[in-house]
Amino acid sequence: MFTRRTLFGAVAALALIGPGSGAFAQDKMLVPLISKGFQHQFWQAVKAGADKAGAELGVTVTFEGPDNETQVDKQMDMLAAALANKPVAIGFAALDSQAAIPLLRQAQEAKIPVIAFDSGVDSDIPVALASTDNVAAAALAADKMAELIGDAGKVAVVAHDQTSRTGVDRRDGFVNRMKEAHSGIEVVAIEYGGGDHLKSTEITKALLAAHPDLKGIFGTNEGSAIGVVNGVRELGSKGITIVGYDSGKAQTDAIREGLMAGAITQNPVGIGYETVKAAVAAAKGEAVSANIDTGFYWYDKSNIDAPEIAAVLYE
Amino acid sequence: MSERGKVMSIKETRRGGAQQKLWAFASLIVLVAGFSLASPNFFQVSNIMAILQATSVNGVLAVGVTLIIITGGIDLSIGTLMTFCAVMTGVVLTWAGMPLLLGVLTSIATGALCGLISGTFVAKMKIPPFIATLGMMLMLKGLSLIVTGTKPIYFNDTPGFSEIAQGSLIGRIVPAFPVPNGVLILFIVSAAVAWILGRTVLGRYTFALGSNEEAVRLSGVNTDAWKMAIYALAGGICGIAGLLIASRLNSAQPALGLGYELEAIAAVVIGGTSLAGGRGTILGTLIGALIMSVLTNGLRVMSVAPEWQTVVTGAIIVAAVYADQLRRGRAG
Amino acid sequence: MSELVRMQSVDKRFPGVHALKAVDFDLRPGEVHALMGENGAGKSTLMKCLSGVYQPDGGRILIDGAEVALPTPKAAKDLGIGIIHQELALMRDLTVAQNIWIGREPRLSFGRIDEARQNADAAAIFQAMNVAMDPRAPVSGLTIARQQMVEIAKALSYRSRVLIMDEPTAALNDSEIAELFTIIRKLRAEGVGIIYISHKMDEIRQISDRVTVMRDGAYVGTVEAADTPISAIISMMVGRELSDEAVRIPDLSGAETALEVRALSRGRELKEISFSLKKGEILGFAGLMGAGRTELARAIFGAEPPERGEIRVHGKPVTIRTPSDAVRAGIGYLSEDRKHYGLALGMDVRANIALASLPRYADRLGRIDEPQLAGIARDYIARLSIRTPDDRQEVRLLSGGNQQKVVIAKWLLRDCDILIFDEPTRGIDVGAKAEIYRLLNDLAAAGKAIIVISSELPEVVRLSHRIAVMCEGRLTGILPGGASQEQIMALATAREGMTVE
Repeated sequence: MFTRRTLFGAVAALALIGPGSGAFAQDKMLVPLISKGFQHQFWQAVKAGADKAGAELGVTVTFEGPDNETQVDKQMDMLAAALANKPVAIGFAALDSQAAIPLLRQAQEAKIPVIAFDSGVDSDIPVALASTDNVAAAALAADKMAELIGDAGKVAVVAHDQTSRTGVDRRDGFVNRMKEAHSGIEVVAIEYGGGDHLKSTEITKALLAAHPDLKGIFGTNEGSAIGVVNGVRELGSKGITIVGYDSGKAQTDAIREGLMAGAITQNPVGIGYETVKAAVAAAKGEAVSANIDTGFYWYDKSNIDAPEIAAVLYE
Repeated sequence: MSERGKVMSIKETRRGGAQQKLWAFASLIVLVAGFSLASPNFFQVSNIMAILQATSVNGVLAVGVTLIIITGGIDLSIGTLMTFCAVMTGVVLTWAGMPLLLGVLTSIATGALCGLISGTFVAKMKIPPFIATLGMMLMLKGLSLIVTGTKPIYFNDTPGFSEIAQGSLIGRIVPAFPVPNGVLILFIVSAAVAWILGRTVLGRYTFALGSNEEAVRLSGVNTDAWKMAIYALAGGICGIAGLLIASRLNSAQPALGLGYELEAIAAVVIGGTSLAGGRGTILGTLIGALIMSVLTNGLRVMSVAPEWQTVVTGAIIVAAVYADQLRRGRAG
Repeated sequence: MSELVRMQSVDKRFPGVHALKAVDFDLRPGEVHALMGENGAGKSTLMKCLSGVYQPDGGRILIDGAEVALPTPKAAKDLGIGIIHQELALMRDLTVAQNIWIGREPRLSFGRIDEARQNADAAAIFQAMNVAMDPRAPVSGLTIARQQMVEIAKALSYRSRVLIMDEPTAALNDSEIAELFTIIRKLRAEGVGIIYISHKMDEIRQISDRVTVMRDGAYVGTVEAADTPISAIISMMVGRELSDEAVRIPDLSGAETALEVRALSRGRELKEISFSLKKGEILGFAGLMGAGRTELARAIFGAEPPERGEIRVHGKPVTIRTPSDAVRAGIGYLSEDRKHYGLALGMDVRANIALASLPRYADRLGRIDEPQLAGIARDYIARLSIRTPDDRQEVRLLSGGNQQKVVIAKWLLRDCDILIFDEPTRGIDVGAKAEIYRLLNDLAAAGKAIIVISSELPEVVRLSHRIAVMCEGRLTGILPGGASQEQIMALATAREGMTVE
């Protein structure tokens, strides 16, 4: 019951020190967002978008998520606590969609609409999904990789997770696209580093040792991609084409330096914004479209400073 | 038992101690040989360097926590303390623009100070080490996020910072042997701590505290003060680990750190240090840390499925400690 | 009379040691047979052969005249051989009955334990022993003596006909010993054969029928207890005669006062205790268990600081809140429990001797001067004749007497001139005891001020220049050296309101 207790402790502490405790008053609608993470820059950007929508629509938005993307249990605790606060709607990015179903059913019974964001839930309870089409985005990464290495040779994937929706979609989107459209390219290894920078670095170095003729590596999220860049830099390997995902200063720097060929960026600000907007609409009983595509872009050295790209990149 | 019998058994225990290190070393050699046979890509200079480099952060943490484990304690806060030290270095170097040396000192001092606080919880306030350092682990994690505002701090403005772990002083002298500085630092820290344990009063009390704390107290030794000093020393060593990880990532990543403590403790235990205290060696810990990284690297190079890598690593930890028990059972 | 047990030329070797050399031993039903010998004589090894822990390399073991094999402790138990170890092996957090039936719990369906039957069965055993004991009481709340009763009940629960007791009275006070002896006599009357291992001569005379002595792994002889003088048994044990010398009291009228304690008090344990101790003096502290002697020693030493009162060392008042304060004032304490409070057992002789004085042998970097310490350690090993192969021997491998000498060396090296010995000869065999006595006299002659706390009256009488007696936390009187045991007992039982001046 350790998690429960920390949670209570944290709630109590927040109540004491939070200057905005008055904002929890009944006059404003409460829309909590339970995210997959909190500390990574990506989630901070989602939060920024959510806050922006909250301010525009006059609702109170809260945002929280577990420390890392394996803590399914902690996320469940957070979801349960959010439901207990009687919100008008909930935004939820599931780490594990099966695990969340009992709680989502509770939300349904309490007539609290759920908007899934970032990744889908294998259930018909969420009224809408605001997300990047990860499969399509990873396929685009595969196409770009193929183009850069001349449509032939060995590549590897350093993924962030083997169970979450985004981890699975990005990995499969990339691998399947290679199989279907680029038969000259072989995906020789898929390793998982949990999005931990240092672990992904060590994985990359082991991959390069195991496959000296490797031509490219795809890192499926920010931490994985930075780890790949680090590993290649530490070994001093030449001629490795690195394709990343998301942004962050380390990644954008690597692209500017030319160490990384390019990356897929989602529109995290848009995800947050669209989630809150859909939540408020659903709470008011308005119609909401089931799939809200928040979009993705390929960026590299050439377009990194273009306004439409710069707007969705985060430091 | 007669005097002669006692003489025999002491010789056996002493031989047992040396044997134990020999065994750990032998398992390391077997692992390296096995992987070398299994994959031609394993025993390459660059891969060996990669393994050594991968050992540096975990190895330094493990050396630090070895001290505490020998006293019969445990420190769960080493991983997040490492991160916090990295963050404070970022604050001093990147935000305040201070010179590099000051950043290095900040990291070590932050570690030592936090270690001293943990030591105070344990020695003065009599909180069991597991709980005291669990609390410290969470506090430091939270502080890292608060100080940074959850954003990483980069060291782009401090040229030379990445050299701390990634450069190679040895490589400049012997180009064929580009041992990264991080590895050099690991070996220097290990040698220094081994010296402290073997040759100094602090080291002697470290073993004595783990062997029989009450007897040491009743010998008129200020056990509380020494214990705090040991935690502070271990904390300072975490500060060095913080420098290494920050230098390798060229940034202080506030979200990292959780889980690193368990890997370090695993290395210590594989190295033959008793969690009950009173017994342990730095050489053993070093070998334990190397076994851990050889194992993870080797399994990856052999392209073993990631799920199975985890299973094998867990099994090896249990097997290593069991083998140690068997040897000890036979020696005693 | 038929024989219950006969062991014939039992031989046992360990690598490098001939532990048992063709030892003979026999036990009749309904007798108490004492097994004696110095530590390391082979008593425990012989008993481990009988209880199935060790397998003899040669010889035969017969039970009721039939040769038996005892491959495991369980086989021995099944034949009715029970052993009560010196260090009690009870689970502190379980109840009395749970301890007795551990591993053989009466079961109900679905693996449930039949606690009621377990308690009733245990109660029946205690009733047969004539002991009042609640089977549901947790063991942690019992005194050592009561825990021993539980061990005996446990052994009896196996329907033991042979009961081996290894130093059962080591931690008991006189009234508890009397209670234990009542039980032993009752068992003897019922035909149980009891093998009794002890170092205490007076007990042997009280309880045993025959005495077998061993020395250096060999059988020395068996004698009738009733018509053999103690000195004869001792000479069988040590292979030489020990003269029972009377205490020689030095003239201390001109000696300087080393330690003065005034009205020291703590809670109900210590009440207004005042005494003084001169250089060169041995002050004995006698009293029953729980009289507060150890508490007094720990209070003076700062291990559990006193609430009120004054301590003066060499005439100057000192404040002692922690053991390090006491050591700085030159007070050393040798605990009755060396293994827990005196020694770092896993460390070597050299490190233990240096434990209290390390900073003195280190430079500014904290670097230890090992060669110097090695020289010092060897010096003390020679001076105190500590029997150890060398100064790197782990202390846990030394005998009790030699461990005690290591602790003494520790305090001598620290220049402590006031030494408090709490039960200095507990668990130490006869030969080594005499050596410790001589050492204490030498230390006193060299000007050390010494306090000796002992529960063995002959020891107090033999050693002390003056004898302080405590009862229930009060100092009930100080007798001159050479006082009779009767005088001491009178003070030791002098309850409040009848203090003798």
